[in-house]
Amino acid sequence: MSRRPGAFRVTLAVAVCIAMGAVMGGGPAGAQSPAKSRGRSLVIVQAQDPQNWDPIATFLLSWGMVGCNLFDGLLDRGPDLVLRPGLATSWKWISAGVLQFKLRTGVRFHDGEPFNAEAVKFTFDRLLGPEGAKGPQQGNYKSIDHVQVIDPETVNFVMKTEDPVIITKLAGYGAMIVPPKYIQEHGTAYFASNPVGTGPFKFVEYRKDDHLTLAANREYWNGAPSVSAITYRFIPEAATRVAELQAGRADIAQGVPVSQSEVVAKDPSLTLAQVGSPTVLEIRFDPSKPPAGDIRFRKAVIAAIDVQTIIGTILQGYGHRVSTFQSPLSFGNDSSLKPYAYDPAQAKQWLAEAGIKPGTEITLSFPSNNADFREAAQAMVSYLQAAGLKLVLQPFEQVTYFSDILPHAKTGQLYEFGWGGWTLDFDNTAYLLYHKGEYWNPVFSDAEVEGYLTQERGSNDQAVRRKAFLALDRRLYDLAIDFPLWQTVNLWGVNKRVRGFTAPPDDRVRLAPLDVQ
Amino acid sequence: MIRYIAARTGGALAVLAAITLFVAFGIRLTGDPAVALFEGAGAPSTEDIARIRQAFGIDRPFLAQYGSFLAQAAGGNLGTSFRSGQPVLGLIAERAPATLALTAGGMLVALITAFPLGAYAATRRNALADILIRIGSLLGLSFPNFWLGIMLILIVAVRLRWLPPSGYSGPVSLILPSVTLGIILASTLVRLVRASLLDTLGQPYVRTARAKGLRERAVIARHAMRNALLPVVTFVGLQFGGLLGGIVILENVFAWPGIGQLALEAVSYRDYPVVQGVVVILACGVSVINLLVDISYGLLNPRIRVGV
Repeated sequence: MSRRPGAFRVTLAVAVCIAMGAVMGGGPAGAQSPAKSRGRSLVIVQAQDPQNWDPIATFLLSWGMVGCNLFDGLLDRGPDLVLRPGLATSWKWISAGVLQFKLRTGVRFHDGEPFNAEAVKFTFDRLLGPEGAKGPQQGNYKSIDHVQVIDPETVNFVMKTEDPVIITKLAGYGAMIVPPKYIQEHGTAYFASNPVGTGPFKFVEYRKDDHLTLAANREYWNGAPSVSAITYRFIPEAATRVAELQAGRADIAQGVPVSQSEVVAKDPSLTLAQVGSPTVLEIRFDPSKPPAGDIRFRKAVIAAIDVQTIIGTILQGYGHRVSTFQSPLSFGNDSSLKPYAYDPAQAKQWLAEAGIKPGTEITLSFPSNNADFREAAQAMVSYLQAAGLKLVLQPFEQVTYFSDILPHAKTGQLYEFGWGGWTLDFDNTAYLLYHKGEYWNPVFSDAEVEGYLTQERGSNDQAVRRKAFLALDRRLYDLAIDFPLWQTVNLWGVNKRVRGFTAPPDDRVRLAPLDVQ
Repeated sequence: MIRYIAARTGGALAVLAAITLFVAFGIRLTGDPAVALFEGAGAPSTEDIARIRQAFGIDRPFLAQYGSFLAQAAGGNLGTSFRSGQPVLGLIAERAPATLALTAGGMLVALITAFPLGAYAATRRNALADILIRIGSLLGLSFPNFWLGIMLILIVAVRLRWLPPSGYSGPVSLILPSVTLGIILASTLVRLVRASLLDTLGQPYVRTARAKGLRERAVIARHAMRNALLPVVTFVGLQFGGLLGGIVILENVFAWPGIGQLALEAVSYRDYPVVQGVVVILACGVSVINLLVDISYGLLNPRIRVGV
């Protein structure tokens, strides 16, 4: 039998050398970042491919990230979250229930089709008709009865019911203006994969689950973008997104996880941008399940858990405490309300007063997809154990949790809840969470809360609404029906060659103002 | 042989019907696609959810939904995705080349690694090389595939910058995911090749071949390896189904636009038509592979005769 141990040993030695070199030695000498070879084009890596670019078919933030560069609405909301004219130059209530818009002239869709009042009417007829009924956006605009064309540059929105948030909603995804002729000629399915809008970038190529390429719209009504082209790459794994950024193959990475924030922050070619988002996280109590019906129990749980320490350690500071279930960005937030203090002695006292025996078992239900919350929940077990409560963690798969468990009151006494608040108006959260009988509110009911909700929904006067919201905030705070935790902070990794990047709270990265060094 | 293939095909169709029924029923117990559609900043009311359920046709009784699916599938139509609004068959066809390339790449890496290493270890039983190969295969088995993938990305793509970290942009981008998949598969395969070859090397006909004065390489390649291949081929065939599980994870890690990603997203969003369509196609694929494995027995060893 012949033996050639030399070949095996050589192979082994080469493999070990490569591994050692890779781990110890860093990158190859003189390696040039591929970022430079991209010139004036940008690559953005994001977690999700929405699969459908039709504005009426989605609610995903990943759509908004791209959609705001392809489409325009009548109104626009920039990174500062201030509403400004979009395809409409002005608007006013001309009578009760009739909102009139003056439209921008000389604007064309990417395929050359003119933008006018007919396009606005077509967009909303489609959204409010059978086509829109198949998507999630229709429900947001059901207060609109119909759109009336006055002349090519003027439309009236005739309202069916009072909707004090309609102006904000018209800057939302579902209200993006679409090209009538193009959709009628090619059909909805084609439009969903080959979108055409009036935005600063126009569609070039789309390969599902891989990438979408856009080119600068040189005829954009608000000025041509500085960058020549954009490629969005869809990379679900956060570690891979960061790797693409580190390797210089991406310019902007969305959704940098807290665990990798330091990797990005310490990289000399990258910057870490952070921004408080409209999304807030809380633990909600189900008052129908003892002992959660007792306010002393609810306040004891809140006082027993040190949320600030959880934010400082598990979230590495990337989170802001909130006192009610809304972010500071929300219209209706009472900034004078301070979160309940961490006070373990007071917690024990409240539990004793409520007659809750040490060792009482309570359950916290939550969707298992949020890694940060999972860790926080483990910490809460320890905090509550110190107060004399045994917290059982009950994780669920996300869709099961939101479709079967939560709306049917099958949670424990405590359950986790997160909310985006996309209109930046507390109405969106408050009505659907505290109004009796809503899908997300199978149990809670309070006459005083109902009164405030009726007040804020029944008026277009923002001062009246604000007063109602502040009273509502105080009532909810006093009832302690929620345990508001934190406002989510979104982290972005950006290559330093990108100039003018502002992390947007709502994930809508406007690319037209960006430049490349 | 034709009767055999016909009988096997009939059996496969019955299995296919049972699998689709199980999957269609099971996924409807675990969540509502109407609710999943509102992910993001969504705030569905009860009426919104009812409206979407009606538009998707999932407000009908289960048997009516399943009947429609079977009737459409018989005509070659696997329905339309709830989420993208595109025909399911088209979605699968778009992604099939990526998944097939990854499967073939992974299998290739596994085969060209496992056979020489397994044979080398078997012919040097308990020598240093044998021990190192066995330790190496144990290590490979111990790595979770997503972890191994991320480590390879960090070392080969980020540190060394030899290869792209992710994406589907030509043959170069296939190397990292194929190597990851191949390492995992080869780790088991190398042990199987070694054990099977050791068993065969002890057979009298191998002794006879050696006694005839044949060179060791010829003894192994022509006599021992061919017989040792039978359990290995069975394993490779059986692994195909399991391989798909690994591919789902790796496609996610490497942002590989294949059927695995499609399936994962479809399950996440309870996109029933896509889930059902993917299951039908994959179950067909697994059935065909197993049929080919059975047929290959006869080719590898003419003494094996297939019977119905």
